[in-house]
Amino acid sequence: MLRFIAGRLIVVIAVAITLSFITFFLLNYAIDPAQAVAGEEALFEEIEQVRIQYGFDRPILERYFEWASGVMRGNFGESYYWNKSVYLLVLERAPETITLALMSVSVTIIIAIPLGILAALNPNTIIDRFALGIAVAAQAVPNFWLGLLMIILFALTFPIFPVSGDKTYFHFVLPSIVLGASSVPPVMRLMRTGLLDVVDSDYIRTARSNGFYGWNLTINHSMRNAVLPVVSVLAVQLGHKFGGSVITESVFAINGLGRLALESILGTDIPTVQILVFIFAFMFLIFNLFADILNAYLDPRLRK
Amino acid sequence: MIFELFAKRLFPQAFNNDLSELEPKHIFLRKSVNHLGFKFGLTMLLIIIFLGIFGPHIIGISPYEQDLTKRLLPPIWVEGGNWEHIFGTDGNGRDYLARILYGTRISLTIGFGAAFVGMIIGISLGILAGYFGGWVDQLVNYLLTCQLALPGLLLAMTVVFLIGPSITVVILVIGVLHWTLFLVVSRSATQRIRNLDYVLAANAIGASKYQIIFSDIIPNILNQIIVIFTLEVGIAILSEASLSFLGVGIQPPTPSWGLLIAEGREALFFQPWLIILPGIALFLLVVSINMLGDGLRDITDPNSKIEIKSKVEVPISNLKQNINSKK
Amino acid sequence: MRILKILILTILLFSFSPFQAFADKSDDTLVIAFSREITNLDYHYGTKTEYLILGDMIDDSLFYVENENLTYAPSLASDFNVVDDVTLDVNLRQGVKFHDGSEMTSDDVVYTYNFIVTNDKNRRHKKLASWLKSIEKTGKYSVRFNLNSPYANLFNDLYRIKIRKNGIMGTDGNWDDNAQATSLNGLGPYKVISFDPGVEVVLERNESYFGGPKGNPAIKNLIIRSIPDMGTQQAELMSGGIHWMYNVKKDVGEAMAKTGKADYQIGPSLRIGFLVLDAGGYSGEGNPITKLDVRRAMNHAINRESIAKNLIGGPAKAIHTACNPVVFGCFQDVMKYDYNPEKAKSLLASAGYPNGFDLDLWSYRDKEAAQAMADDLGKVGININLRHGKLAGLNKARKERQIRAYFGTWGSSASPDTATISNIHWRDPNKGDRNLSGDPKVNELMLGAEQTLDIDERKKLYAEGLKLIAEQAYWVPLWSYSEGVLSSKDINFKQDADGYPRIWNITWN
Repeated sequence: MLRFIAGRLIVVIAVAITLSFITFFLLNYAIDPAQAVAGEEALFEEIEQVRIQYGFDRPILERYFEWASGVMRGNFGESYYWNKSVYLLVLERAPETITLALMSVSVTIIIAIPLGILAALNPNTIIDRFALGIAVAAQAVPNFWLGLLMIILFALTFPIFPVSGDKTYFHFVLPSIVLGASSVPPVMRLMRTGLLDVVDSDYIRTARSNGFYGWNLTINHSMRNAVLPVVSVLAVQLGHKFGGSVITESVFAINGLGRLALESILGTDIPTVQILVFIFAFMFLIFNLFADILNAYLDPRLRK
Repeated sequence: MIFELFAKRLFPQAFNNDLSELEPKHIFLRKSVNHLGFKFGLTMLLIIIFLGIFGPHIIGISPYEQDLTKRLLPPIWVEGGNWEHIFGTDGNGRDYLARILYGTRISLTIGFGAAFVGMIIGISLGILAGYFGGWVDQLVNYLLTCQLALPGLLLAMTVVFLIGPSITVVILVIGVLHWTLFLVVSRSATQRIRNLDYVLAANAIGASKYQIIFSDIIPNILNQIIVIFTLEVGIAILSEASLSFLGVGIQPPTPSWGLLIAEGREALFFQPWLIILPGIALFLLVVSINMLGDGLRDITDPNSKIEIKSKVEVPISNLKQNINSKK
Repeated sequence: MRILKILILTILLFSFSPFQAFADKSDDTLVIAFSREITNLDYHYGTKTEYLILGDMIDDSLFYVENENLTYAPSLASDFNVVDDVTLDVNLRQGVKFHDGSEMTSDDVVYTYNFIVTNDKNRRHKKLASWLKSIEKTGKYSVRFNLNSPYANLFNDLYRIKIRKNGIMGTDGNWDDNAQATSLNGLGPYKVISFDPGVEVVLERNESYFGGPKGNPAIKNLIIRSIPDMGTQQAELMSGGIHWMYNVKKDVGEAMAKTGKADYQIGPSLRIGFLVLDAGGYSGEGNPITKLDVRRAMNHAINRESIAKNLIGGPAKAIHTACNPVVFGCFQDVMKYDYNPEKAKSLLASAGYPNGFDLDLWSYRDKEAAQAMADDLGKVGININLRHGKLAGLNKARKERQIRAYFGTWGSSASPDTATISNIHWRDPNKGDRNLSGDPKVNELMLGAEQTLDIDERKKLYAEGLKLIAEQAYWVPLWSYSEGVLSSKDINFKQDADGYPRIWNITWN
């Protein structure tokens, strides 16, 4: 088992490094770093001065290693656009994205798990079709549109929730629903099929013959087995939220990492975008790793 | 339903009561006739495609014609609307119905185009990985993980920023970010098929790798690939809408639905239909494609429990006859 | 499983409690919204209008633009004396205090101007003081400016440069550009209490403000929130989250006013819109735009009056000069191009493009107007590919000499002199990338008009320059904008004649 984890970790690190290099290369090719620093009003000679001054004329590999070694020492770089160290920027904005991510997963759990259970307990009935219908619908709805729709319905027509911003947890409800909705289909389906498989199995039949029935049977006995793969999918979905929250944060004016990334790209701020892409990829990989470990723990055949 | 009538008229042999003489495609047809989702999805999709191609001609209004004196007119069901512009007009006085109808073409073109690009990349890598195994497989696995970990939207934005937005760039960028499902499916299918007896036999008699790939592997994964393809079209359509929404996809005045929603954003309060209508269009298109895809998957899955209903009574005497004649 | 139940319940509770998580609000507090982010408090490092407005709130300078007559009034200066063309004596007000309590003296003024001139990295405002030869301290409260050559827009620059405390930005050779970026020791009617870059600036009235031409603000606390999305701004206004927003489009303003929840004012603005054309062929020699007839055709093709009236509204109207008609020096008797698509087509034909040609038109704002223009140009055969994106993208493309035609605007914020706009746009093309005319005479005329103080001479030079620009159609002058403001019913905000929002004048109703 340990060998499995170690193997996976190596892949994680390798991927993170590859991605950070590709991003570095792409960003510095798409945007002229000297111009980004020098600003809008700079004259040509001033841009060249900046290029030499900040060392942007050195070969890209050298600059990448400088960046990478800086990151390992905890120096995330300076943002010329936001006038702050990237580290502080990230630190300030991270709590909002983390809150949003956690709350969205809660929403997913609240909607998908009960639906999945209901569907599994009543297979091929109207309830089942309804649940699957919701899954199909949720997959087809564009998330930015859902966000705007939620604002129109629940913040304007019926002024229950605030329109935007991130001052209180109440502000996070609508965005969490929007972000969580996209994870509902896979989780619900998995819960449903997982439970369906388990319900047919021998030991459930044994439990039933021992007198357990109804709710007790479902939750206490069946769920225990069916829920673990769902947890691993939830972990993966949680990993998706970092980087996947860009649009939701933008629509709801939440000052998290996603919005930071969006505005940094539009503001041609290379250091910030570089770090953020790295963070998003890393979060995804970590959660994926956790899911892989969980699955390997359950199913020894996966421990290659 | 109408669907069944169509199907029966076009392929009468499929509805033969003697089930043992049905070919695979007839089985497909019989199953599909009973799958509600498939029928619904296909019908809706065909309607949307029809509207997209012929709609603008039918209503006779151009989606590009501006009239600055007739801006932001409401649709017919809101006070102030008129029949001249059934869905109202946008900020430049262009007829909204025309724009939404025309947007179908954009979504479909990009959806199919990007899914196609993704398919080519995914299948190639998947077959390579599944066939050769070993370090090739490891490498492809590594590429897969890289691809999954990439924050796709951000990278798409950067690339479009770099090259400049156009339909081709958007198709390529989305396609290059969405090949993972194709890869997974074709790789596992290739691995499975590769070890089957008849492939090993083909190898033994000297068939080249490419022959095996094309004549044995590809036809067998085709079913699954088609299913994935339809699902990816839906995903690609939504991706394009997101990119256009953020301003780094299709450029104005081309009426991409995502762009229409972005343009309507400022008028959220007073002209909400600018946002609601294109969103509904997106939803309907993607839902119909997904239902089609799900239906295809259910129908082509050999383990699925779809019945092939036979509606005609077979008298016992006939049965006896058949049994006797087959001796 | 019980654990799961508890977890779910906790999450539910957590989600729905109106916990105060991130910020707070209090009384006598005016909240206004800006679309573009403020990432730096120091006006010397920003060029956007937002920075100018903020700068006026927390900083002060020697002079200030009075709204009524659009003239310059002494602010930190008590009076001044123009000794000759290249010498200006200024006496400072006494007893003026910085936000930290220390008194302003001529040491601070001398330090500030020396900093602006010698700081290499401060490119943005270095040009402001390019006319300054030296500044001497002539007394505890008096200074003398020695100019390199006569400079007509002197008072505008004296307004733009905010006085900093002696020593606060570092010393020569060791300047600290970020010294005032996140906290500011200024002289203005408001002081900075807290600053979250890109999100919020919290200000409080400076109780020891000297008054001056700005007067003492009526409202004690002021919060500036960065809300990039106009839809969100509207929502906030309606729900009471903000009291004031500007750059409001005509449709939105009128609709909001109809709901009765806010007041809508639309008045004149100094901002003008224009198309800059690559007459000099920087994006490619011999490209269609280098031909005079093509440029003239573009001038005829666009229905400016219709766009001004229908899209912008208010007092916006078509213009024919590369400046706003109400400012000094904006000579109006130039060649005018009427809206005439037929003439445009024939001009294109005579230039060798009877079937038109393809053109990338870059823009970064006013998407609807950009599309309307693209449509107009398309009708005469110029097939437009609209490159609408963020300003950063446009600046980048312009620097790389990729742009053949772009749609730009210029605010000339609170500056009633043609010099402000012409200085930026007609410079030596080897120094900057905005002058695409390829015509050295334009640079000579338009910038020459800044280098003399003789009013008649200036007018003459501007007249010649503007006539040349119009005749050669280096630009397509489009329209003068309107300024739309939405304000809550709780406040009283009066728009000024130049459209520049003087926030410190707002009072509660």
